[in-house]
Amino acid sequence: MVRGEQSSPAPHAAKPPGRIIPGAELGAMSAHEVDFAIVGSGAGGSVAAAVLAAAGAQVAVVEEGGHYTRNDFNMQEAWAYPALYQEHGNRTTDDLAIMILQGRNVGGGTTVNWTSSFRTPAPTLRLWAERHGVGDIDAATLEPHFAAVEARLDVGPGNPDDVNANNRKLMDGAAKLGWAPELIRRSVKGCARLGYCGMGCPLDAKRTSRTTFLADAIADGAVVYSDCRVKLVETDRGRAKAVVAEVLDRASDRPRGRMIVHARKGVVLAGGAINTPALLLRSHAGNESGVVGKRTFLHPTVPMVAFYDQPIEAFYGPPQSVSVHHFSNRGARVGYFLETAPVHPMLGALALPGFGDAHRRMAERLPFVQATIALLIDGHHEDDGGDVSVNKDGRISLRYPLNAALREAAIDALGNMARLQLAAGAREVVTLHETPIVIRSEADIARIADAPFIANGHTMFSAHQMGGCAMGSDPRRSVVNSRGRHHQLENLWIADGSVFPTALGVNPQISVYAHARLFATAIAQGAAAEPAR
Amino acid sequence: MNPSRRKFLKRGLIGGGLLVLAGTLPFAFRTTALGRRPRRELRLLSLEEHAVLAAAAARLVPGDGAGPAWPTAEAVDCAGKVDALLATCHPDVGNDFRRLLRLFESGFFGTFIAASPRPFTRATPAEQDARLEAWRRSRFTMLRSGYQAIKRLTHAAYYSSPEVFARVGYAGPPEVPQVPA
Repeated sequence: MVRGEQSSPAPHAAKPPGRIIPGAELGAMSAHEVDFAIVGSGAGGSVAAAVLAAAGAQVAVVEEGGHYTRNDFNMQEAWAYPALYQEHGNRTTDDLAIMILQGRNVGGGTTVNWTSSFRTPAPTLRLWAERHGVGDIDAATLEPHFAAVEARLDVGPGNPDDVNANNRKLMDGAAKLGWAPELIRRSVKGCARLGYCGMGCPLDAKRTSRTTFLADAIADGAVVYSDCRVKLVETDRGRAKAVVAEVLDRASDRPRGRMIVHARKGVVLAGGAINTPALLLRSHAGNESGVVGKRTFLHPTVPMVAFYDQPIEAFYGPPQSVSVHHFSNRGARVGYFLETAPVHPMLGALALPGFGDAHRRMAERLPFVQATIALLIDGHHEDDGGDVSVNKDGRISLRYPLNAALREAAIDALGNMARLQLAAGAREVVTLHETPIVIRSEADIARIADAPFIANGHTMFSAHQMGGCAMGSDPRRSVVNSRGRHHQLENLWIADGSVFPTALGVNPQISVYAHARLFATAIAQGAAAEPAR
Repeated sequence: MNPSRRKFLKRGLIGGGLLVLAGTLPFAFRTTALGRRPRRELRLLSLEEHAVLAAAAARLVPGDGAGPAWPTAEAVDCAGKVDALLATCHPDVGNDFRRLLRLFESGFFGTFIAASPRPFTRATPAEQDARLEAWRRSRFTMLRSGYQAIKRLTHAAYYSSPEVFARVGYAGPPEVPQVPA
């Protein structure tokens, strides 16, 4: 039973509440035994924990990152990126071409996301059914899970009062060009529109997994271990038996102990794309298909800046409130959607090319910068995305080639973002090539196609990581079935964005929550009938 | 050859080879100009590596043309902040970065890349800028990557420093009251 619903299965006797146990409270060696061990406390792990704990299971969530609350969120980039993000904010593809923003804390990506809430698009679900063997998940299947998740996260209709100047320019330009901008629905309650979603909400107005589903799970007896990085999944004769973790010293991020969590009934992996495939690879388990880590997708994001005569102050106000999906379907070519990004000093400086005074001349105009981003929808055509691997020391590697199809989409997106900002009244629009192209009229746009679009030749980043442990019906081409159950390891499930066979084409949080809830509901129903082993 | 090194070289003959080459430049730091002592106790970098990073940071952040109100890289301790951050990352990350600094400092290597035979820390500002530009625009992916690694870490440390906020027209975050834990 999940909070707010009719009970099904039968209610269980109330258990004492669990709690969040930081690594500092654990000894050098500790062992624990539960019904379900869940790796990761983000969107997928939290809702899986809530469903299973509500069904009466004894649940432990093991989270690599630290436990932070609203009083810790000081809205300073210098603290937030090292503390709340994977690899201290330095995760990238192998060649450093794409900077990867991925959460690492109790709450995972939901602690640092920009609240944008979209259901999985119907065309994406159709693609998965027609080409990736996911024949039994459609909008109707997901509807009760979307509804429950959106209710718990207070996702309401898009609010025009949320539109800051940065997003207003996206809306105005798109509207003038007939590109149908839409207000974004947001997972917030009591939002004061400060603009620091990406550094943790200091008001808890952003509805994160920590403040919702994880809290529900804890109320039903789940225990969350923070600062514990799962290194291995132990398996034996086709079953997952335990997870083994390093207990980390938070200040140094170095191991200070070990813990093992034995799972009587099963293990749920929910550490997110990149991390979940890496965990299976490190464990030398669950890769009979040979596809673990392959087809990792990033919504590779191409930013562009425009300079206005009036202040935009893209560092204040909700980071995202408008989206444009006019270019999501470009037929045989890679599609993309347009949103905005906040421009705080550090993030802005990282995006701007060059160094010294050339860089400074753009950075000092920060209050007048509008930032539009194009998120390329990878994996829907013949592109195979990236490939996660691990070295002998367990260090994660992500190779992601920028192929011709992605480059074509990036160049097309740059042209259209320029048109949009000129339509909205920008004085000039500037690409983020290492030699920026300054655009003041339509005639300048043609120069974009002449500039090489190469790795580390143009700023790129990723805020959405998907794939690497795809769901599907064919065990030779997928890792889990359409309820997240591993094809070979009968009591191992994956409940995070790594199960998506392609990129989503929208911001992922609601899709991750809803699919994880679908999977966890099936797990709970099956577990009720199966004895522990 | 061990498997991880073989895989590393496979990433690109030039790419992987460069960091291997860095390991064979034992005298890259023999003539490094140490400059000012680090402002904090170093946790990862050697004094020489810190000096190379500090010299690069001085060129990467706004320079003399920006005016006296802009803090220097040394004033906000860019190199020290980068050292502290890298000390918490995976050990391989720190080791790769140290090798990168060795390569960047090398006068031997600089001759081929930017026709600049002096160690970076002993080069003139114009020569230093030329070496940074050569890496930034190189046709070799590894050099472009190496430049981005140094640039991003430096700019992240610099522009996240409150001393710089006013220079970029940012008033900082609003006051938010703390609540009982």
